Amino acid sequence: MSAARRGLLLVAWIAVVAALGWLVDRTLVVGTDLRLFLPSPRTPQERLVLEEIGEGPASRMLLLTIGGSDPEAAAETSRGLVTELRSSPEFRWAANGESNLDAIPERLLAYRYLLSPTLDGTRFDEAFLRAEFAERLRDLASPAAAFLEPWLPRDPTLELLKLAESWQPGQQPQTQFDVWFDTSGRQALLVAETRAPGFDPQGQRAAIDALQAAFLRVRTEPGLALEASGPGAFSVLMKDRTQQEAQRLGGLATLGMIMLLLVAYRSLRVLVLGLLPLVTAGLAGLAAVSAAFGTVHGITLAFGFTLIGVAQDYPMHLFSHQHRGLDPRDNARALWPTLATGVASTCVAYLAFLFSGVRGLAQLSVFTVTGLAVAGLTTRYLLPWLVPSHGTDVAASGRLARLWGRIAGLPRPTWLGALVALLCVGVLALSPRPLWQDELGGLTPVPRALIERDSTLRRELGAPDVRYLLVIQHRDAQGVLERAAAIDPQLQALVSDGTLVGFDHAARYLPTVEQQLRRRAALPAPPALEAALAAALGATPFRSGAFAPFLADVERARQLPPLEPGDLAGTPLEARVGGLLLERDGHWTGLVTLTGLRDAAALERIAAASEGVALLDLKQASEDLVAHQRERILWCLAGAAVLLVLVVGVALRDTGRVRRVLAPMALTTLLVLASLHVGGVSMNLFHLIALVLAAGLGLDYALFFERAADDPAEQRRTLHAVLVCSLSTLMVFALLALSSLPVLRAIGVTVSVGVVSNFVLALLLTRPPRGGVS
Amino acid sequence: MLVTMPSLATELDTGALLDSLVRPAPDKTLFVEVRHSALLSEPIFVTGELEHRTDGALVRRVESPYRETTELHDENVRVEREGSKPRRFSLDRAPELRGMLASFGALLTGDREALERNFAVTVQGDTEHWRLELSPRDDRLKRRLASIVVDGQQDRPRCLTLSEPDGDASVMALGVGDRAELPESLERASLQAWCSGESGP
Repeated sequence: MSAARRGLLLVAWIAVVAALGWLVDRTLVVGTDLRLFLPSPRTPQERLVLEEIGEGPASRMLLLTIGGSDPEAAAETSRGLVTELRSSPEFRWAANGESNLDAIPERLLAYRYLLSPTLDGTRFDEAFLRAEFAERLRDLASPAAAFLEPWLPRDPTLELLKLAESWQPGQQPQTQFDVWFDTSGRQALLVAETRAPGFDPQGQRAAIDALQAAFLRVRTEPGLALEASGPGAFSVLMKDRTQQEAQRLGGLATLGMIMLLLVAYRSLRVLVLGLLPLVTAGLAGLAAVSAAFGTVHGITLAFGFTLIGVAQDYPMHLFSHQHRGLDPRDNARALWPTLATGVASTCVAYLAFLFSGVRGLAQLSVFTVTGLAVAGLTTRYLLPWLVPSHGTDVAASGRLARLWGRIAGLPRPTWLGALVALLCVGVLALSPRPLWQDELGGLTPVPRALIERDSTLRRELGAPDVRYLLVIQHRDAQGVLERAAAIDPQLQALVSDGTLVGFDHAARYLPTVEQQLRRRAALPAPPALEAALAAALGATPFRSGAFAPFLADVERARQLPPLEPGDLAGTPLEARVGGLLLERDGHWTGLVTLTGLRDAAALERIAAASEGVALLDLKQASEDLVAHQRERILWCLAGAAVLLVLVVGVALRDTGRVRRVLAPMALTTLLVLASLHVGGVSMNLFHLIALVLAAGLGLDYALFFERAADDPAEQRRTLHAVLVCSLSTLMVFALLALSSLPVLRAIGVTVSVGVVSNFVLALLLTRPPRGGVS
Repeated sequence: MLVTMPSLATELDTGALLDSLVRPAPDKTLFVEVRHSALLSEPIFVTGELEHRTDGALVRRVESPYRETTELHDENVRVEREGSKPRRFSLDRAPELRGMLASFGALLTGDREALERNFAVTVQGDTEHWRLELSPRDDRLKRRLASIVVDGQQDRPRCLTLSEPDGDASVMALGVGDRAELPESLERASLQAWCSGESGP
């Protein structure tokens, strides 16, 4: 091929890559919802668990503190911030302890008589009203007079105040300057619920940004600082950290890789050519995911590029085997059966994730399979046209020859392999510690100090427990409210005896229709109420006509249809009730959130005694889900392993060869599992993905060593190629292993150990036992 | 000092007047408080005792016709009424209380700066019969409180009147332990006259 045509091909290739890049850039939507990596729910119960974890009120709740300066300034800022957040589209509601009667809309005011429990035990008769008016007289002579007086004509029994107080959380922090403060009295406390679910770091990021901007607008003193805690704040923090660290390590790794390639091939051109298949693979993978799923998850992106890093090895094999006198196209053709076997079997392994039932993993699978296939095919069919045919023959290197000689001389006790395998299986089977980590939180662990601060704030604010919930199921909303109202006294008893600090459910805000009707029926008709009022006021200094608005409101309440969940839209109660009473597919679910629970068994008893009520342990339930997810992935992987053996078997057609190629990979997988376990690491999903990656690498190494079995020059070229491949991979993953972030560390350690073990074992185990020719 | 020449009415100086009103804690004063309201056909009154404690708290103790204790400490209010559970709330729910506390505390400690931060201060009259009027500066407070007026003679405050924008008011006669010391009619005009010393003892 002439230089001009080569140049044309190169330009065309780069143009295709650029076009792919443009396409991907235009169509790719990067999602950040972490639930994409959680198992898909199979039952309504599991769906509830996942929704509660990712979307429930507890997951959206941000606990805020304002402090660092004068408490009064903090209180002033807290008031300003709540006002800002209430009008912010990022937040559903915000509270700081201020009770604001004016916040109740006019059209709901008359409902106070149907919502307040006053009428359950009493009637608006002369005796009741007389006692109430006597109290109001005392109120008027008290310093609170100016506050209460404007409400008295329409609400002399103070139902609104009773309602506002009953809607406050069971246990409240202390108030100072009318807003919540922590026990030290220095930091104002607030709660805000974001509109974005807790598992959506992007939405949470927007909420946190809006929060900070609002804070800066209303801050009354420059010394004040705002802190946010809660699942959403943590997911933002962890995402930022992971991204920063991944970028830093990624940059270092790229630099190291370039140096290594320059040292190994001493050619800038080879360096650039070596990157082309990888870049093409990445972009093709992205385009495929984008076409298949619409969006691609940020983790898929980060992981995917780590996984298809293997594709960097493909051109290496071509380069290392290239020498003067060999047409690069012949070179590629000769390497192809081995390379294709490696690519195909790795793709088969990743294909397993497509059937894992986890959307994020399915994306990852499409991405890697497409990427690896494209990298393999471009290395075979495009790259050889561009590779210079005169490259130095690495087989001529004296150092490499001596190294090979020494390796060949090493004893290869196959019984040791069997022993190691047995030992590993023994360690794994006999250890009392669980092999796997089932905690969802284990995937994105938050620093201990932040967790502790969060639980302190949670306690002070009386915010609901994130672990236990009572779940009430019924086919209609009224049934749910009825059951919630029915267990209310038992929960109240638990609060009284200290088992529970507080609880919350929808019926606290919205009584059942039946109860509202009962209360409505208890309201006296105008003549009776007027008579009772006149008699009660008779001997008091109150003006007789002063309470006409009260009569009017009672009469209005007597005509009201009971308040139902749908009527709450646009009121402050909408968000509160909406988080506790959910409708799905014509079925209603009520949640009872719990605060400061000491004894879950007591709730278990309540749940057992009430029909349609269950205690949900989100931690246990999510762990079950994770365990189930893992089981399914393991089955998929087992299936993939069988397929992989078949692929290798078809390619090599010799059981001895198949055994020698597969032995290093299998032994390495066992070795990595055992050493991680002995090292005290509990495995999670990320370890599993990393194990598959390591196995894929091992298979490649073994295939190439096995191929070069009897030709000394080929052996040295293969040694060179595999050395470059494994060193570059080891460098990248050893850097990740140094990361402070558990996710990156998990992958880094697993692959690093895997690469070393695979390299050594492939060298020792893949050649026929009668020994290499030296 | 001014007080040494009681017979001679001298021109008023705000600073000197405020200085003369300083009462170091602990200090106690009896009071009769009269409440005027549009809801009431006639004013109501209670008698009791005001206390300025060393910890800075102000305690208003009603003795008759029922017992009730209101304690103002920092920003928190605690009300204990016979026959019911103690209740707590905070000053923001009752801005007139904050105004009262601020003005009271500042009057009792002679903190003119704090007083003028929250209120526009004007004085009228002479050293013999004076009137100190505090008008709130804050808009939120203005909605609930029109003014605080302290009427007094020489170095002795006689009445503390909190007026609300809607015309309702409470008048606290200080140093008075018995309703009988007040005029027969508790209507505002006659009380006002009593406070400014026109029908004084």
